[in-house]
Amino acid sequence: MKKKIIDIHNIAKIYQMGLEKVFALRNISLTINENEYVAIMGPSGSGKSTLMNILGCLDTPTSGQYLFEEEDVSTMNDNELADIRNQKIGFVFQTFNLLPRATSLKNVELPLVYAGVPYNKRNEIARNTLINVGLGERIDHKPNELSGGQRQRVAIARALVTNPSIILADEPTGNLDTKTGIEIMKLFSDLWKKGNTIILVTHEEDIAFNAQRIIRLRDGLIESDEINPNPTNYN
Amino acid sequence: MKISEIRENIVIAYSAMASNKVRSALASLGVVIGISTVILMGWILSGLQTALDDTFKMMGVDVLYIDKWDWTGGKNWKDIKYRKNITLDQVNEIRSKIQTAELTFTSTENWGQSVKYGNQNFNGINIAGITYEHGRTPAGETLLGRYFTQFEQYNHSNVAVIGYKVYQTIFSNEDPLGKDIKINGHKFIIIGVVKKQGTLMFDFVDNKVYLPLEQYFSTFGKYDISLSVGIKAGGEENIDKVREESRGLMRIIRNLKPHQEDDFSINETKAFEKQTAQLKLYVWGIGIGMTVLSFLVGIIGIMNIMFVSVTERTKEIGIRKAIGAKKRSILFQFIFEAAVLSLSGAFFSLIICSGLVYLVATILPTMVPETAFLKPFLPYQLFIIASLVSIMVGVAAGFVPAQRAANLDPIEALRFE
Repeated sequence: MKKKIIDIHNIAKIYQMGLEKVFALRNISLTINENEYVAIMGPSGSGKSTLMNILGCLDTPTSGQYLFEEEDVSTMNDNELADIRNQKIGFVFQTFNLLPRATSLKNVELPLVYAGVPYNKRNEIARNTLINVGLGERIDHKPNELSGGQRQRVAIARALVTNPSIILADEPTGNLDTKTGIEIMKLFSDLWKKGNTIILVTHEEDIAFNAQRIIRLRDGLIESDEINPNPTNYN
Repeated sequence: MKISEIRENIVIAYSAMASNKVRSALASLGVVIGISTVILMGWILSGLQTALDDTFKMMGVDVLYIDKWDWTGGKNWKDIKYRKNITLDQVNEIRSKIQTAELTFTSTENWGQSVKYGNQNFNGINIAGITYEHGRTPAGETLLGRYFTQFEQYNHSNVAVIGYKVYQTIFSNEDPLGKDIKINGHKFIIIGVVKKQGTLMFDFVDNKVYLPLEQYFSTFGKYDISLSVGIKAGGEENIDKVREESRGLMRIIRNLKPHQEDDFSINETKAFEKQTAQLKLYVWGIGIGMTVLSFLVGIIGIMNIMFVSVTERTKEIGIRKAIGAKKRSILFQFIFEAAVLSLSGAFFSLIICSGLVYLVATILPTMVPETAFLKPFLPYQLFIIASLVSIMVGVAAGFVPAQRAANLDPIEALRFE
């Protein structure tokens, strides 16, 4: 039996828009185990962004319970959530979200800064992580000196550097051309094979088919939750 | 606060400033002006204090003057004017009766007289009639020649000792010893020059010619003048004792009844301090007014730029929060940045002011000798004060913008373009 990483029960998220209540998530229960590769799919307005924000501990649900590695994060305060994000979650964004003035190395070091890792140690870890994602040659380059694919690799290295429990990728290929997108998806597959747990949020079918399990949302509810029998294999 | 973050904050603050050089410079201009005001004011005041202390030291801090006039200027001038003169008999009586003094001397002064040397008249010089004991006090130490003796005093010798300023005015760099001067038609031979005592506004103490008391009487007459007694206590610790005894004796000599107020004053060189206290207060007052104003401008300038910075970097804040920065990390980051901005303004001021002070203190006294009290360097305390004040200004300016940054919602901040 694999370890439960994410365990949510009856999660709802309601936004108050003027006088109207908007149900972004109605009632969602979901479990994700260690070393799963899950794609969350859905059209815009389906609630997938809201779900991702809650899973990523950037937001808290209006009701329901969220256990992250058996810890109840639905009642945590901002600082405790910041710690969870720092140590347990690695984010990869569609727009990369790197600090423009910092080198690849400094960008990758950043989570370790907030984790309180001493300078020499974090430098070494960040360097090795960049080498692992194939960017050993681009350590001292700033984001504007890198291609889109390289930037996303820096972002992935930043997500991996604290050795998190899950990697949460939000449309990671959305700003990349097809060929580069495939390279990035191959990198995710490799990470999964090495034992990482990956949650992929996307609206593209062929990207979602990289995952081993596909969850489809519609109108704030889970429409389907199926095992993908043939995840894209790059070997 | 984690140590790893402090290093990161230094780097962030530096790179934020480096990437917006002009903007940062303009934002810290208020601080530069404010700190410069504080520094220059402190510099002038410390020079003033040193000048004052030097004057006291030269004049002797343990000398009291029993006089009809009050030096502090604190008493009603009219009351003082109607006090009876202190006569020679009274002076002699107290001088013979006092037990606690180290030495005493008699003096009187005629202000604003003219001194003739050769064919030239020099006006506005004070002529003092004084007894030889004065030559044994610090105020009577000579730079050139010597003070007159007891013998010269009682034998009506036509000798004079001149103050440093008189020496400068009349003789420039000529040797004054042995030269004749005329005062009120009487001829005197200069036998000595007293060391420079006064600095700045106290240089009137050097604008004096000292005549033996008897000669003074022959020159200006001995009636209708009020004399004063100089009493050297022989150490600052004895001053109180000597003052008490002098006061008691004077009250008896002047036949004062217990309910009557003193009709004389016991003056000290320290009285000058009270006068300069006023001057210092003005300098501080103007300085503080300007400083507060420029710091206010400084705070507003930095605060404004920090608000701009927070808005521009909303996305960065979002990223930092997403990967685990806590509220206080962001708060500290921006406060730190504001403090660094302000501190570099202070640093800049210190460099400019050091240069300025050096130039002023080396060049100005050659044109205006009265400014010789200014030192060509800044007292080290000013460096500490400037740094601390600028950091406080930075923190004050950075706090509200930093709080806005810290309270940003990470999801909203990440969406910001």
